[in-house]
Parts: sequence; structure tokens; C-alpha cells
Amino acid sequence: MNQVGAVGLIAALVFAIYGMISGAIAGKFRSPRMLKSAQRAVLGFFAMTTLAVVSLEYLALTNDFHNSYVASHSSLALPLVYKIPVLWAGQQGSLLFWTWLLSIYVALAVLLNRKKNRQLMPYIIAICMGVGTFFSLITFWVANPFDQLSLATATGITPYAPPDGNGMAPSLQYHSMVIHPPMLYLGYVGMAIPFAFAMSALLTKQLGDNWIRVTRRWVMVPWMFLGTGIVLGGHWAYHVLGWGGYWAWDPVENASLLPWLAGTAFLHSVMIQEKRGMLKVWNVVLIILTFFLSIFGTFLTRSGIISSVHAFAQSNIGPWFSVFLAIIAAFSLTALFLRLDFLKTENRLDSVASRESGFLFNNWILLAAVLAVLWGTIFPIVSKAIQGVTVTVGPPFFNKVMVPIGLLLLFLTGAGPLLAWRKTSFQSIKRNFTVPLIFAAIVGGILFFAGVHRLYTWMSLFLCAFVAASIVGEFYKGARTRMKSTRENFFASVYNLTMRNTRRYGGYIVHFGIVLIFVGFAGQAFRFETQGLMGPGDLLRAKDYLLRCESIDTGQKANYQYETVALSVTKDGHALTVMHPQKRFFLAEQESLSHVALHSTLAQDLYVVMAGQDPGSDKAIIHVIINPLVQWVWIGGIIVLLGTLLALVPSSIERQMADLHKGREELAEAHHVS
Amino acid sequence: MSAKRLVKILVLSFALVNVAMAAQSSADIEKGIGDQVYCMCGGCVTSLNTCPMQFCEVKEGMHSIIRADLEQGKTEPEILQDLVNRYGEKVLAAPPARGFNLAAWLLPGVGLLIGLFLAITVVRRWRRPAAEAAAPAGAPPVDENILSAVEEEMKKYAD
Repeated sequence: MNQVGAVGLIAALVFAIYGMISGAIAGKFRSPRMLKSAQRAVLGFFAMTTLAVVSLEYLALTNDFHNSYVASHSSLALPLVYKIPVLWAGQQGSLLFWTWLLSIYVALAVLLNRKKNRQLMPYIIAICMGVGTFFSLITFWVANPFDQLSLATATGITPYAPPDGNGMAPSLQYHSMVIHPPMLYLGYVGMAIPFAFAMSALLTKQLGDNWIRVTRRWVMVPWMFLGTGIVLGGHWAYHVLGWGGYWAWDPVENASLLPWLAGTAFLHSVMIQEKRGMLKVWNVVLIILTFFLSIFGTFLTRSGIISSVHAFAQSNIGPWFSVFLAIIAAFSLTALFLRLDFLKTENRLDSVASRESGFLFNNWILLAAVLAVLWGTIFPIVSKAIQGVTVTVGPPFFNKVMVPIGLLLLFLTGAGPLLAWRKTSFQSIKRNFTVPLIFAAIVGGILFFAGVHRLYTWMSLFLCAFVAASIVGEFYKGARTRMKSTRENFFASVYNLTMRNTRRYGGYIVHFGIVLIFVGFAGQAFRFETQGLMGPGDLLRAKDYLLRCESIDTGQKANYQYETVALSVTKDGHALTVMHPQKRFFLAEQESLSHVALHSTLAQDLYVVMAGQDPGSDKAIIHVIINPLVQWVWIGGIIVLLGTLLALVPSSIERQMADLHKGREELAEAHHVS
Repeated sequence: MSAKRLVKILVLSFALVNVAMAAQSSADIEKGIGDQVYCMCGGCVTSLNTCPMQFCEVKEGMHSIIRADLEQGKTEPEILQDLVNRYGEKVLAAPPARGFNLAAWLLPGVGLLIGLFLAITVVRRWRRPAAEAAAPAGAPPVDENILSAVEEEMKKYAD
């Protein structure tokens, strides 16, 4: 199977190169035959990368340790559910995975556009296959997952397989790790398609409304995956790393946030181009930036140029990525520069107080956030290069810089939708802002008297109330207006209103999810921690909770040994639960990991970590954290996902327009035949 | 209520809230410092507050220093300087804002301001010339209520 996988890789590389060249020729000479050939190359690329992926999965599932990659990232005792993620547990497999996901995206783009966007498709294929060529080349040449182990003996070099593999990093052996990396990768990789659409539109001078309308969905899908991946990463960190947090501004975390922020800016600014024909150059710049940052994120994760908790993924592919990033920047900016004349703004701004301005300032804040995160992430490299000293740029820096930016963004999230397109009168501003501001002021007052005295925390919750009220108000006002004309009941009206404009109301739901995430962030200000040594019968108090140690036990599973403690928990004198935090020692990997015990409510999490046993007393070392409002982060993440899915559903107006368009085409066809 | 008056009230409210929230307890200050420095035990590479190593003597020692400094009435910057004197600048979880490191702190703010300037410039350039935007001479003035109603309708159907 190793040879099959290797052949798959070579064939994928050949298909990618051919697809890139044939796509470019089809675009240049407008040749339908070459386009067909390029489309077949895309399907061949997909088939061959699939073959390589299936081969590697087969090797992992069958514990074939002749394969160097499988021997390094799997073991006999590794549970079956974690043998599938072996594919993305290390460098070589991850790059193959990246290539395979790209092949899926490109094949989908080709299949969905068999009869549409005919002028754009040749260059879209050429550009995507160009990206595919780079990743196939890296996977084949620099980080091949099908290298075999061998031994030099007196009779020559013979194949070798160790009796057992090295195993997977213990921190990766957790359920959300099975889906977190694929989600992130679907996000990173998927940004290649809108980039290809934009570049193709520039190359073919097809810079009307069509490409931007098509591209919006191709951005929204990877943006959704990226956001889901980021939240799942936070969920993993919270449950596995044992420090009670979900975001540490680690460089690799930052790398995933950067394209998400740039993509968010695009999803907002694209509306101005659709409605008003403005910001055309800016939208192309944002697409380029989003794709560039996606590759930059992969580069940061994989090159190891910055120290990170994701050290398991590092290797020496940095120079290759540097060259690729330079090519992307040079190619895309040149194409943009050559087509500036085709990207002139069609309209003028009627008023500063307008939705257009709101989006413009939203973009300003989002791009400021990109700059701040990017600068903080690369500053240790800059410092090392200029002053010869590596400095730490950790959470204090990012929190100080990003919290005000986050609050400004939160304000605009609420204020933007309250402004009308073109022009909003002061009367209208006053009417639209009054209720949300009064609600926020009431909530703010209650919070202040309830003891919320940290400025940023208070402001965050104040703005959350403002944004939530503005969103609810938008649904309420829309439903009331609809009820007057249709005589539907309120709930039917809300449903039909939403389905009539899924994009707008899906967007509001996404905003509401972001509000809940900010509520969760604000809860961190009230975090409480304590620790103690606990033997049977010992008590530990953490605010209202009282923990009693019932027993300390040890045991063994297939791939790890564990120490665990049974803690009965009471709150205000009432029995609540029994918690079982564990300290695990993974045998193949020779590494320890804490398995956190959690008792979660919407108000707070009781987070208990067993750090191990005290050698002097044999008592358990127990660390207790009370983390308020953490659940709101996960709930907010789910709501953002649902809102995005809703926004992706074609609205009833769009469906009617599509039916009308189809009917016209059929009529024209019938007329042509007769 | 005029726009200026509304802005004044908002600014004043935030200023009052800010002053009221300025008073911090010693525990708050200790926690704040714990977030700004790294535990120097060498094993965890995390901030003092998030060090997962239990009963770490170095961590406890650093907490003792902070508490002792607080009892002596030292301010947060003075306590941070005390920790730098004892452990070196590497104790700080973010680069100190001086020398070249100042660039780390200034650039995001400068970027924010340049972005604001560019956004305002774009808005000004995009605005219709006053003559073009104004109603033709002799046209009757538009009723503010009608204008608001039209805006509401536009909001519903424009996006």
C-alpha cells in the first residue's frame, strides 16, 4: 500500500501541473477543448490525492510500521478512533491532507460550474492547480508521508519495521482533536477558491457583479469552517491543557484568527460592492489578504519559526513557504495593479451617517485587529533580527491591545445594522438607538450595583446588551411590519421574514452568537482559583463549593496508566456531584497529561485538575478553578455556526429569481430550437 | 435632545463609571501582576497565574514578593520593577514599552489611527459634492417624518 500511496502522490503532482498549464492555455486562447481537458485533470488530481490519503489511512489502521510516518505517529495501543487522525497528527500527513482537501474544493468548484462562469473557470482551475502543484510538490519532495524505514545490513539495505510505533502526542488524543484540525484545514484550504475567482476575474477583466456574488459563498463556507475550528481548538485547550483557559494568544492560535478576521472584513465589505458598486479594489485586496494569511498560517504552524505549544507540527519547510508566499503576493498584486482601471467606484456616498460608512469603519477595525495580531505574533522574530534579543509577546500584550479593538468592533456590530443604506437622518438614528441604549444602560446599571467594577468587563457586558437589544429589535420591527401586511402570527412572521432574507437575518444570528462569546470572555474577570493536597476525608473549599476526597485510585487502560481521585462536591450544603479528575501517563509516548473533571452550568464551570500525587504524603494535588460564563463561549460558537448555515441557505427571493432565470433560459432554448 | 448633548451625557457617564471603577483591592492588583509576569520555575512557560505546577516553590516565592511589596504600599509599576530587578526582564510576559520594544506597543495604535484617517479620507472623497446632494432650488422641503419612514422602508428591502 506504501507504493500505491507514493504512486498516487506522483500522479497527483502530474495532474496538478497539467491542470495548471491546460487551464492557463484554455483561458488565454478561450479553448473549450482545453477547458474540458483541464477539468478532467482536476478530477484526476482529486482521484489521485484520494488514493494517497486512503493508502496512508490503510497503513495507519493496519499498524504498518514499515511506513516511517505511521511508526512516528501511531502505536499498537492507540485506540482505533485516533488512528484516523494519524493523517493530520504530523507534518507529512498534514500536508497530504491539505492537498486532498484542496482537490475536493476544486473538484466541487468544477462540478458546480459546469454550465456557469465559463469565462472564469479556465483561470480558476489554473490558479487552484498552481496551489495544488505547490502542495503536491512539497508533499512528494520535502515531506513525503510514504517514506519507508530501512536498516543497513551486511547484505545491503533491507526494509525494517519496529515492533511498535512511537504513538501520538497525548494532547492530541482527545475527541475534539479528531475534528478540530480538519475544520481549520477546511477553512485555510477553502480560501484558495475565492482567491482563484478574484484572480480569474482580474485576468479575464470580468469584474462586474457576477464574480463577487459567486465568491461570497465560497468565502462564507471556509470562513464558517475556520471559525468552527477556532472554537473547537479553544474547547480542546480548555479540556486538555489543564490551565482553565481556552485562548492563550499562542502564535498558531493567532495564525488561525488572522484569515478569519480578514474574511470577516470581506464578508461585510462585499455587501457595499453588491448594493452600491463601491469598494471594488478593496474587496480584491481583502480576498488576496485572506488567502495570503491562510498560507501564512500554515507556514507559521509548520515552519517552527516561532515557539508554540503546537511544536509537534514543526519542520524545515519554511523556505518553501516563504517563496510561495512571495509568489502569491507578487502575482496577485501585479494582476490587481494592471486592472485598476476596471475597478472604479460606481457610486458616491450620500451621507456619513449611512450603512456604507458603518461597513467601512467595521473594515477599519477588523483590519486594525489583523495588524495588531500579526504584529504581536511576528514581533519576537523582528526583535531577534533587529536587536538580537528574543522577547516574549504573550497574553498581556494581546489583551491590552485587542480588548479596546474588540469593544469597538462589538459597538459597530450593534450600531451598523441600525443605520440605513445611503443616508440616515438624525431622527432615525435617535429612534433606532434609543431602545438598545436604554436597555444597555439598565443592564449596565444593574451590573455596576451587582459589583461589576472592572471597566473593560463592564463595557463589554454593556455593549453586549446594546448589540443584543439591537438584534432583537431588528427581528421584532421586521416581524411587526410583515404582520401588518400578511396577517401572520408573530412566530410565522419571524420565520418567513428570516427565510425571505436568510443572509441578513442569518447575519444577525451570527452577531448574536458573537455577543454570547463576548459574554463568555467577560466572565474571565471573575475567575477564582485555589489548590490543596487531598487524601481520603480531606476537604477543600472553593467559594460556595466544598470538595471532599472520597478515594484515590490507580488503574490502567490500553495506552495509558492513570491516577484518579473521587471528589464529592456540595454547594451551599447540598450534594451536587462526584468528580473524577485524572492524571494519565501514556506508555508509548512516555508523557503525562491531566484529564480535567468539569461540572458545568450556564453560570459557571467548576474545573478540577489532578496535577498528580504528592510524593511526600501520597495525597492528590488538586487544583480547583471556578470559571464563570465559559459555557456561553461554546453556545455562542454553535449559534455563529447555525447563523452562517442559515445565511448560506438561498432566500425565498433568490429561489424565485433563480426559477425566473431558469424559465427564461428554457424559453430561449425552445425558441432557438423552433 | 441634540446630538451634542447626547454625546456629552455619554462621555460624562463613561468618565464617572471609569472613576468609580478605578479603586482596586490588593487581591485585584496581585492578580493583575500575576497575569503580567511569567512563573520563573522554568518548567511551565506560562504566566504566574496560570502556572499549572502545583506547590511550585518559585511561584509561591513570587507571590510572597508581590504581597510583601503591596504591604509596603508599592504601586503596580514598582512591584513589576522589583520583579524585573530580581529575575531580569524575561520575567515580563510582554515586552517593556521602551527602546525598540516600544514599536511593539505603538504600531497597533498607529495602524489604528492611520486606518481611521484613511477611512475618513475615503468617506470625504466619496461624499457627493454639496451642490449635487442638495435639493434643487425651489423644491419644497422634505418632511422629516416622511424621510424617516422612507429610510425604514429602504432598510427592509435594500439588504
